Amino acid sequence: MKRESMWEVYLRKGMNRRSFIKSCVALTSILGLSTDMLSTVVAAAEKNALPVVIWLHGHECTGCDESFLRSETPLTSDVVLNMISLEYSHALSASAGEPFEAHLHEIMEQFKGKYILAVEGAVATADNGIYCMTGGRPFVEVVKEVAKNAAAIIEYGSCATWGGIQAAKPNPTGSVSVTDVVGNKPIVKVPGCPPIPEVMTGVIMHYALFGQLPPLDSEGRPKQFFANRIHDTCYRRPFFDAGMFAEKFDDAGSKAGWCLYKLGCRGPETYNSCGNMRWWNGLSYPIQSGHGCIGCSNPNFWDDAPFYNRLPSYEPVGDIDKVGAAVAGLTVAGVAVHAVASVIQKKKHQADGNKPEDKKVD
Amino acid sequence: MKRVVVDPVTRIEGHLRVEVKLDETTGKVEDALSSGTAWRGLELIMNDRDPRDAWAFIQRICGVCTTAHALSSLRAVEDALQIEIPRNANYIRNIMAASQSVQDHVIHFYHLHALDWVSPVSALKADPAATAALQNTILETYKLPFAGPVEFDTNAYPKEFPKSTTVYFKAMQDKIKKIVESGQLGIFAAQWWDHPDYDILPPEVHLMAVAHYLEMLDKQRDIVTSHVVFGGKNPHPHYVVGGMSCSISMNDMNAPVNTERLAVVDRSINTTIDLVNYFYVPDILAIGQLYVQKGYIDGGGLAKERVIGFGDYPEDTFSGTTNGSFHKNLLLRSNGIVENFSKGVEAATFYEFKPEDLSDPDVLNEGVEHSWYKYPDAEGKDLHPWDGVTKANYTGPKEGTKTNWKTLDEEGKYSWLKTPKWRGKMAEVGPLARYIIVYTKMKKGLLPEPTWVEKMIVDQIEAVSKVLNLKPEVWMTTMVGRTAVRGLEAQVHAYIGKYFFDKLVKNIKSGDTAVANMTKWDPSTWPKECKGVGLYEAPRGALSHWVVIKNGKISNYQAVVPTTWNACPRDGKAGHGAYEMAMMDTKVKIADKPLEILKVVRSFDPCMACATH
Amino acid sequence: MSENYRKVYYIFSPFLRIFHWIMVLCIITLFFTGLYITKPISGGVNGEPTFGAMVLSLNMIRNIHFLAAFTLTASFILKIYGFIVNKGDRLFPRVWEKSFWLCMMDVSLHYMLIQPTHKSYLRNSLARMSYVALYLMILVEILTGFAMYLMVNPNGMGAFLFGWINPMVGGEFTVHLIHHYVAWLIVLSAIGHVYMVIRSEFMEGEGEVSSMFSGVKALSHEPVDIGEIIDKKTDTVK
Ligand code: HEM
Ligand code: HEM
Ligand code: NFV
Ligand code: SF4
Ligand code: SF4
Ligand code: F3S
Ligand SMILES: [Mg+2]
Repeated sequence: MKRESMWEVYLRKGMNRRSFIKSCVALTSILGLSTDMLSTVVAAAEKNALPVVIWLHGHECTGCDESFLRSETPLTSDVVLNMISLEYSHALSASAGEPFEAHLHEIMEQFKGKYILAVEGAVATADNGIYCMTGGRPFVEVVKEVAKNAAAIIEYGSCATWGGIQAAKPNPTGSVSVTDVVGNKPIVKVPGCPPIPEVMTGVIMHYALFGQLPPLDSEGRPKQFFANRIHDTCYRRPFFDAGMFAEKFDDAGSKAGWCLYKLGCRGPETYNSCGNMRWWNGLSYPIQSGHGCIGCSNPNFWDDAPFYNRLPSYEPVGDIDKVGAAVAGLTVAGVAVHAVASVIQKKKHQADGNKPEDKKVD
Repeated sequence: MKRVVVDPVTRIEGHLRVEVKLDETTGKVEDALSSGTAWRGLELIMNDRDPRDAWAFIQRICGVCTTAHALSSLRAVEDALQIEIPRNANYIRNIMAASQSVQDHVIHFYHLHALDWVSPVSALKADPAATAALQNTILETYKLPFAGPVEFDTNAYPKEFPKSTTVYFKAMQDKIKKIVESGQLGIFAAQWWDHPDYDILPPEVHLMAVAHYLEMLDKQRDIVTSHVVFGGKNPHPHYVVGGMSCSISMNDMNAPVNTERLAVVDRSINTTIDLVNYFYVPDILAIGQLYVQKGYIDGGGLAKERVIGFGDYPEDTFSGTTNGSFHKNLLLRSNGIVENFSKGVEAATFYEFKPEDLSDPDVLNEGVEHSWYKYPDAEGKDLHPWDGVTKANYTGPKEGTKTNWKTLDEEGKYSWLKTPKWRGKMAEVGPLARYIIVYTKMKKGLLPEPTWVEKMIVDQIEAVSKVLNLKPEVWMTTMVGRTAVRGLEAQVHAYIGKYFFDKLVKNIKSGDTAVANMTKWDPSTWPKECKGVGLYEAPRGALSHWVVIKNGKISNYQAVVPTTWNACPRDGKAGHGAYEMAMMDTKVKIADKPLEILKVVRSFDPCMACATH
Repeated sequence: MSENYRKVYYIFSPFLRIFHWIMVLCIITLFFTGLYITKPISGGVNGEPTFGAMVLSLNMIRNIHFLAAFTLTASFILKIYGFIVNKGDRLFPRVWEKSFWLCMMDVSLHYMLIQPTHKSYLRNSLARMSYVALYLMILVEILTGFAMYLMVNPNGMGAFLFGWINPMVGGEFTVHLIHHYVAWLIVLSAIGHVYMVIRSEFMEGEGEVSSMFSGVKALSHEPVDIGEIIDKKTDTVK
């Protein structure tokens, strides 16, 4: 995707040079620059631009922003200043209130169909979206509006990709994923609660380097970060295979770094880069720090709790294996009773003068 | 009279809207309203969950003060189930908590707050050579030479140190220039850079601060490395009820914690100390002094009247919070309430916060008079968190429609925050509150055997008072003071990290490697019904989590959060909350560009996801 | 009908019989290895990874599970051949026919001990229904099993064929749970099934159990559903 400069955008829109210069003048004065800077501003605006990113916040905890800021490769500053132009972000943008909202609309207009929309957080839909208001409007309206003319959408974090924590039972605010409300758009899903910093910036790095979105799996996640299960990339896997498990936190197995399967590890069904990339350029990940994965990049993983059990026992049923064994016992007993009753019935039938092999006939 | 609305308030966490009634001729704010505009219902989502999972769910209240809620929740559940965690776990949690506070403060100052004080556009006018010289002067003048006890001093020399050469500042300036000239301002777009407040500082300070803004953007991560080592990730590291999951062993190659891992943490703590000592503290004091010199000592608000704290950093393991054990051996005894600090420490009154107060329904409670909630069985009452109810009751704005607001209704309900109260009164929480409380306690002779933390706090306050040539009660209870004290606190927290690291190493050396107490892991060992509370001094102030457990499941969960205390809506009897009071204590020059309002609100480091949850 | 006269009906092809018994063995293996997979015994609390107990190693148990799984799946597929070549293998529940429901009434009343006998059938409606259910459950196990198994290579053909199941049910963790719950359902049904065949062996003496070895049933009455395997007009096997 070729990026347009501000001037090219004006040309495409059929606007004339005068209105272009007018915009540049406005820009120069907003910046508090002296008018002799105008020519530089005009020259820059005619050159190729960085991809414009609009970052919206719905129902979220800002853990995803924070994770993004923790990126080491690429460094956050390199991403924010040299790879993209982050024109709208509640976390980092200098501006606020009315001028900020006006800027959003200007950018949307100016880069119509060209900007990338990054969304952090779920979309609250219950009661017309009043559980998440921004700028005096429901977030659900804002996200739909901005998504309409976005070139592509990046859903950052499990909240945006699957609904996240607020969508856990009983989901009081009717929260859903961004995909659920924006319809047909190129969408990159980057799940995780939060995603690994370098995964978040990696998606942008990919775009900066190759000028296109990274290859996605059938779920819309970048394959290079979400293809494999943690279990299939986990350094504790040899212990799993050998059948060596930590049975309790801080027991001999925990100290020895054995597999955390029996403490409920969700690695066997979790697609994320924790096992191979790990957090902070290989420093650690939950499993390396002795705690099982809770599956934080999986759809609806919150409702797969309790986290410390591979086989959740649901009240009032309890452990399914115990239930199964009990029901099997009852079945055997029932069968025995039925067998005895059948024998008695047959005896009676014979006592009535019927032969053993006699069958009912019409 | 003009009604000025700012929505969204940015460079904060979450969704905040403020409205002020402004007398345009005098610049006085007659009334102010603070509204949290989003609510996720996390307290309701906690119901019927396994209490051992609680930390993970409720940690997601916030990813900025990440871990604050997890730690508070763990304390609450451990209090309810009467679990005493091993010493190492206490030390490790304290290291993580301290590093979290510093990181949160650093991000707040440089990336959320700084652009209220400094401007990249002004930085263009600076002379790089003069900036280099200025950097020198600032380090010499404002580096506070305080330090906590350091047992194992492994730092050979300060690795993180501000660059103060002309070439460096020239390069930074060139970069800023390039951004500005590109016309693509990105995060710097659409701000009121022409606001007169940006002229208070000389261009060289702007250039230095913007350079540090960029450097800290890449450095802050190194402060919370301990989270990744001990908890496997950041944000949102992993914990376990009863201690920590990161077993310690020097005999196993695959152990989560061994000498190499400790070295990683140690290095991060050293980095933290350097960043705070050579960047954060000098920067904030230099900027703060210039503002104070120009007479900017407004924005104090409720801090002048009443502050509250719970205290934190248990020196060693404790048996519970409700039973008073938590409060017996704290490193930071900021527990208590101080009234009227602005009248001077003599005239100020101190109220103790006793363990029995925790269970008293009249001491700590929350009301919903102006909040979009209702208490179906307790209309008009304030509820103690153990009996707390979270039931949404959205009523819409004063002007506009339910989905398109013009102005909110200060007479009715207008926020998703509840209104927390201490004995029916409003109070401010946060670093400033903690400093006021410790300082007052100390000066009133209530801390006969002060800990090194408490001594350091008082020393810092006195040193800064000398630099500013103002009494503590004058400079502290202002928006500058709120921001400056946060920097001072970061310095203390950096050393708290080191202190507990040393204790951890010593304890391991003595042969104790336990990190988790699993005796009450099995729900069959729990009482049929129990309650617990977890207190915690979060970056933004006093935090409490309240849990009721019935038949092994959570039956009620309530969080009373620092930003809820500060940003809450008003109350018929108790008056305004801290944000509203602070806005009303701030002068606004240009009604259309209410930079001062944003600045004073941001001086609290707002976290709305925390506040409403 | 005369005393002691039994007519022998050839019903089950060797395909069905061989694979029935292979499946029985596989399912028993799968069930116990499966339960072990969920709750393994720690095989080496005192050992080193490389010297850990190999016998109970999860790798070994999983491989046995997968071997049985592949065998089961192969048998399942090959049985389809039996369906094609032999009418007797194909005694489907003909729910669209009235006789199916009459039969259902008839045997149900008998099994509820309300009437002393039921009519003679090659395979009664209840049995037909339960076998379909059993096959479906096995199919669920195969689908969910391969969905878990093949996602080890998410770019591969196997993942393409089976991987869609994971998001369809709301996540792979749910797939584990479904696989586990259905395993129990199969075992519970098997208990009932074994009882029913043994019961008819002893109560009705029609060689029910041996039919699964010999392929023939010896019946003293002409079964009601005989038309499904024999052309009554020519009296030849269809
Ligand atoms: C009637 C047939 C089967 C039964 C009774 C059965 C039973 C089980 C059970 C009880 C589990 C434990 C589930 C859990 O809690 O994780 C399991 C796991 C599994 N089964 Fe099966 N299974 C059957 C067929 C298959 C088939 C056809 C496959 C195909 C490959 C398969 C592959 C798996 C896999 C991959 C696992 C997960 C192993 C792991 O988590 O490491 N199963 N099976
Ligand atoms: C001692 C063990 C068993 C014996 C003696 C046995 C015997 C039989 C017999 C006689 C039939 C034919 C019934 C009829 O149509 O009249 C049959 C069918 C069947 N049995 Fe078993 N069975 C045994 C165990 C099992 C087990 C454990 C399973 C699997 C869970 C199983 C699955 C089936 C199925 C699916 C059929 C339907 C046949 C077909 O259409 O392929 N059996 N069995
Ligand atoms: N308020 C608040 Fe927090 C903090 N500090 C929590 O307890 O920020 Ni998100
Ligand atoms: S995905 Fe997790 S970290 Fe990200 S915003 Fe949602 S709750 Fe926070
Ligand atoms: S620790 Fe978890 S992911 Fe790693 S091998 Fe064990 S079960 Fe798999
Ligand atoms: S909990 Fe999340 S961070 Fe990784 S190890 Fe599991 S996906
Ligand atoms: Mg609350």
